[in-house]
Amino acid sequence: MVDSRGHVLVKRCLRGDRRALAALIDEYQRPLYNAAYRILGNSEDAADATQAAFLKAFEHLDSYDPKYKFFSWIYRIAINESINQAKRNRGHQQVDESAADNSPGPYRETEAGEFAHQVQEALMALPDHYRTVLVLRHFSDRSYRQISEILQISEKTVKSRLYSARQLMKDQLLASGVH
Amino acid sequence: MLEERILNLINANIDSELDAAEKEELEAALAGSAEARTMQAELRKLAHLLDNAPELDPPPGLTWQVVSRLSPGPAKPSFSLATLFSSFQPAPAGLAFTAGLLLAVGFYELGPERGMDGDTSRMVGTMVTSEPGERVPLKNDLLVSGDGFSGKISVRDQEGVYVMNFDLESEERTEIEVGLDGTGLLFGGFAQPAGDADPVFDSVAISGGTLRVVNQGWQQFAVFLRKDRGAQAVDAKQITVVVSSDRDQS
Repeated sequence: MVDSRGHVLVKRCLRGDRRALAALIDEYQRPLYNAAYRILGNSEDAADATQAAFLKAFEHLDSYDPKYKFFSWIYRIAINESINQAKRNRGHQQVDESAADNSPGPYRETEAGEFAHQVQEALMALPDHYRTVLVLRHFSDRSYRQISEILQISEKTVKSRLYSARQLMKDQLLASGVH
Repeated sequence: MLEERILNLINANIDSELDAAEKEELEAALAGSAEARTMQAELRKLAHLLDNAPELDPPPGLTWQVVSRLSPGPAKPSFSLATLFSSFQPAPAGLAFTAGLLLAVGFYELGPERGMDGDTSRMVGTMVTSEPGERVPLKNDLLVSGDGFSGKISVRDQEGVYVMNFDLESEERTEIEVGLDGTGLLFGGFAQPAGDADPVFDSVAISGGTLRVVNQGWQQFAVFLRKDRGAQAVDAKQITVVVSSDRDQS
């Protein structure tokens, strides 16, 4: 499928049109930020990863192949940025456990918000590679083939990771009282 | 305990990734196993939970933060109708020119016999990307900003030729007037990026020591200045740049 609006904006960006640049960010920041948030679990890191993804994409815009959808290309960059950030966070946690984020987060003001928070907590308890496939499948609505392209793993691996991730997620939610 | 094959089929079914034969196989398994039906119901519930988790709004200002990190002097929300610069001033620290995307390298220099009042189409060229790492001495930099108008004008000394690079964006039709009286410089050429879909050449006029460019939107071009052989010295600080817009006139 052709992402014609994305292609037009990219062409304008390559000509140095800063409005097109802003339009591209406006267009794609929401799905990118949401995916980053699901992988990273906090707003600040998600915003950083989203920014880093856009900056990286614009730096390498001339290497974008218009045969593919622009969204898929930038989405893949954002997911990789988020995974890398998650790895860095894990490294920091090992050094300083006291730096854990106990802030209320974006959800917790209502009962529904508390429930959404528990879902996110359960998601965060999963290993990165399981969390990532769940995010891509459920929050970003990617197919097995698209997930395999984004993560550069086989579809078979996608399938088996999703299967294990769901089992773990189900157990996590049961343990935190969500039925 | 469910067979792994059935569990895989249930997962793939939830993801709508089964082909017809696999679907048939799963239906048969579900019909014969309460455990399989329970597992499918539980996994469907989980999938529904995840699919319906609320979306979050990105933090406000994210677009601006990214754009401002990519380009100095991003467009600002206000617009002043006319800006007069009597001389070039250094850009504020931290906003200094970083690396020009395009620097003027190739151009046609006007022969002195042509004078300055002729057809400008004879004196246009193409801007080409500078070599990576190439350093061109920076003479001065001017950041221009107002409501709906922003950009940068920089002056470089390139092998004895002064090059003024204009990188501007305006919402309204804008007139840029460059005056060289008393500078010891003459116009030597005009160039814009190769393949630019919105050429500004058509809107260039030169009269005496003044060059006018009238355009709208993003404008990137370069003006080459050469030393007036009759002048005692060159004083680039005497160059004047006046920017005015249609909004200014209304």
